[in-house]
Amino acid sequence: MRKKQTSKNISKLSLIWKPRNSSLLLLLLLAFGLQGCFGIGGSNTSNTPGTKPITTNANGQQVGVNQTQNLFKGKIYFTIDHNLWVIDPSNNAREITHGGNLYDPAISPDGKWIACIARYKDYSNLIYLSTTGNSAHLLRSGNGKYYQDGPYVKSTYYWYAQPAWSADSTHLLFLSDFEKEDWYAATGENAPLLDLQVFSISLNNPSKPQDVAYASFGDGGDRDPSYRPGHPNEIVYTHYAYDAATQTQQVIQIFLEDVTQIADHPGLYHPGSPSSAFDPGIAITSPKDEDLQPAFSPDGNAIAFVKREASGTMGIYIMHVPENVTATPNDPKTEQEALIPYKTASHILSGQYVSQPVWSPDGKQLAYISYDNSTFDLWLANINYNAKTGAYSMQGSPVQLTSGGIDADSRPFWTT
Amino acid sequence: MAGNAPSAAPPSPSGQFPDTPARGLLSGWNPPQEQAASHLQHANGSALAELATNKQPAVQAQPAPISPAHGPGWYQNLQQPASSWPWGAPPRSQQQLSSPAPFPVQQSPAQRPPAPAASLAPFYSSQGPAPQSSTAAPAGSRNGSAGGPPRGKKKQRKKRRFPMWARVLVAVFGVILLLVGGAAGYLYFTFSPSVNNIVGQQVQRARGEEDPNASRNGADILSGPRINILLLGSDTDEKFTNADGSHSYLAQTDIVVTIDPATKSVGMLSIPRDFYINVPGYGMHKLDEAYALGGVASGNADYSPGGVALSRYTIEQDFGIPINYYAWIGLTGFVQVINTVGGVDVDVTHPITDDNYPDDVGNSKDPYGYMRLYIPPGPQHLDGITALEYVRSRHADLVGDFGRSARQQQVLSALKTKLNNPDIIGKLPTIANDLNGYVKTDMQLSDVFKLMNFARSINPNSINKVILDAPYSSTGTLPGGESVVFPNCAKIVPVISKMFDLGSKAACNIQGSTGNTSVAGVSPASSPQVAPVAEIPQVSSDSLQTASQLASMSMMSLFAGGDQYDFSGIHSLLDLLLLTVFEAPQALQV
Repeated sequence: MRKKQTSKNISKLSLIWKPRNSSLLLLLLLAFGLQGCFGIGGSNTSNTPGTKPITTNANGQQVGVNQTQNLFKGKIYFTIDHNLWVIDPSNNAREITHGGNLYDPAISPDGKWIACIARYKDYSNLIYLSTTGNSAHLLRSGNGKYYQDGPYVKSTYYWYAQPAWSADSTHLLFLSDFEKEDWYAATGENAPLLDLQVFSISLNNPSKPQDVAYASFGDGGDRDPSYRPGHPNEIVYTHYAYDAATQTQQVIQIFLEDVTQIADHPGLYHPGSPSSAFDPGIAITSPKDEDLQPAFSPDGNAIAFVKREASGTMGIYIMHVPENVTATPNDPKTEQEALIPYKTASHILSGQYVSQPVWSPDGKQLAYISYDNSTFDLWLANINYNAKTGAYSMQGSPVQLTSGGIDADSRPFWTT
Repeated sequence: MAGNAPSAAPPSPSGQFPDTPARGLLSGWNPPQEQAASHLQHANGSALAELATNKQPAVQAQPAPISPAHGPGWYQNLQQPASSWPWGAPPRSQQQLSSPAPFPVQQSPAQRPPAPAASLAPFYSSQGPAPQSSTAAPAGSRNGSAGGPPRGKKKQRKKRRFPMWARVLVAVFGVILLLVGGAAGYLYFTFSPSVNNIVGQQVQRARGEEDPNASRNGADILSGPRINILLLGSDTDEKFTNADGSHSYLAQTDIVVTIDPATKSVGMLSIPRDFYINVPGYGMHKLDEAYALGGVASGNADYSPGGVALSRYTIEQDFGIPINYYAWIGLTGFVQVINTVGGVDVDVTHPITDDNYPDDVGNSKDPYGYMRLYIPPGPQHLDGITALEYVRSRHADLVGDFGRSARQQQVLSALKTKLNNPDIIGKLPTIANDLNGYVKTDMQLSDVFKLMNFARSINPNSINKVILDAPYSSTGTLPGGESVVFPNCAKIVPVISKMFDLGSKAACNIQGSTGNTSVAGVSPASSPQVAPVAEIPQVSSDSLQTASQLASMSMMSLFAGGDQYDFSGIHSLLDLLLLTVFEAPQALQV
């Protein structure tokens, strides 16, 4: 009976499938082929399965969030078109602010405040606001003006960037160029130190910043500062400089530093050219590689960072933090010891434009930004630590958390 | 037997009317049947009429003559007596049909169904059943039983039936014809208006200015004597304040590219915008103000023929460099192109800081104002304005132009990725529109195409690039406090003499008769040497020439190979823009 039915179906098919129809089919195939050639069709919407659209970004792309439940614990903050957003394990996405041109959100350890940067033409402000998006407070303003100084045009505008909280939620690290004018007095050269340096302030007295890490002249300065969990006096940051010998090759390294060194040794350290600068930072990555964007693990024992591997390809690595190296900076022996953990750094993953790794509060996952389908989006990777070998590795495959494109020039933040 | 063979398909379109007269003759032909007459009038008559008024491009009109060969006129013509053909003997096709079995079946008009669609008419006329017409297509006509001599059923079917491959082949051929025709029309209607506004924008030379093209006798741009091309880069915001309080535009970029076709050597002279020199008829001014001063007379538009004329004349008069062609670029065009392609994604290699970036794009009203840049390092998306800042900043690297060049390469590479994406085809009209109004040149499209192809073929490092900053000049201030750049003539003359092969004609006539150091209070000298710009005629491009060039650009680039397809020359025009914005030949390596 079944056989009969099948033959009947074939008969029906043969009625439909006449030779004449093959020309129609060919034409259809041709049309589809041409459609592919000319890129006709398609849409700007996120087609990633299982995503829920939350907004449309400035590039016209629909931004979506993966709807798989419990992919992570805690809350992840990031920006879309420099508006603050947060997503939770239930994949509820909420826009916290709109229209503020905000960068680099950092949540205080007590969970009350979001420190971030509000950017304007020519300057930016360091602010903090409640985690609900209300009650914004100005900590430091970069507003100023241009003025003529003899033949030179100078300005009193300043940049602020990348705030990071201390463990007790009382201090903030940040980047700024507000000491750029001091360069004139110190060197007699009418070339401002535009390179951003690391400073700290107390929330109770933000008008009195403390120099924390100096920049080398000419390559843009420092980036990515953060306090080391469990070690309140240690910070990490990326140091951009030119090589001291020729001053033509970029040297991009991650530095560890005792935050009290400059304060405790007034007049000893100073910014300068690659060959003349003297600072208490100690390199923990090789000058032969370009390593950037360090992020401490929650226990403060490891650092995830990005290495530029080839043109456009970048890798995320995890290394152990060298211990007891910040107390004696500029000591050749200490400098060698500080590089040892780097040699055994664990490679986690690589990809085009992989960047901005951040640890989950439990230290079991990394969130990072990856470039896929011509957009920058958040991805999650489960991290496994082998206590015997001391090596880190990725468990399973990364999971895409957002689609359609978020801001890659603003570092995300992961909190409980 | 030949009629039964597969080759017995209808004669090819070209075989139908081998003696088809030229289009002009067709108008004198009067087909006896209404259908044929109306069809021909539609297919050929309208095309002719439109061609005569230059409203229809030649490329679009080409498919039309093919239609009669396929359409209703084809089989109806077969019925005409020889005497009805105005040029004597009937077409060869009709002669063939009168010979034994030249064609499967010759049905009477009553048996033959009317052709519902021009291109498919031959199939229907031979096969019969396709058109659903009860009067013209009796059911029995499919097998030939309703008329004609009785034949074996099997044999008859073989005779009448077209092989499937033939039908598919002709259908595909028809689709291709349709696509080619559509593409030609698309090219014309989409790109021609924009391209017309870009190329062939002649600007009359000032009185007393020598036209170096006069001695070239129409030689190809890459043959004959040396050619010099002035590249002017300008913002499109009103910055320059005139004496009457109105505003006009500056030219921030002044570059002279020189090419010696004989030796294939290329030079590139960048003259600082703040060069304090004599602007003929206006006295001492910064070079970028020549564009503004010339623009006053032509209505203060962003692109002003008067600005081009005075800038060109200033270069010629002050340095003795004859200018064959010019190209004016609006920086906003670059911003718009980047935005149109959806921005570019790059890995910013280090933090970009610049306190003295020119605030000349956007809403700033200060012609010499600065703005501050801070572009964080790392992978990120750059929109048009940020991409422009990233590639233009001169103060973000200790290594000067090397660092800037590396940044430019990043953006160019990202732009190349975008331009090579098939999706870009849909955006080409927008890109052409972006260039429209922001690229102007007196070169023809074919000249730009050849020039850019040539420029892409040479090693950028072999280009003799000279920037007239130190030691060719020094910065200083005028009594009023304005910052300017003073030329060092002793250094400049030998360099330009060699670069432009000027010999003793190289000059440095930078001292003006009227010193005017006030930017806002400028007024022309009493007897300006420059022709009244308002009277300068604009020579618009010939639309047929443009259409022809659009088509040839596409074909040439298609067959030129490589990984770039210069669709309608848009890529070459884009290169011209990039060359001026980046002020570097490396821009052409996209």
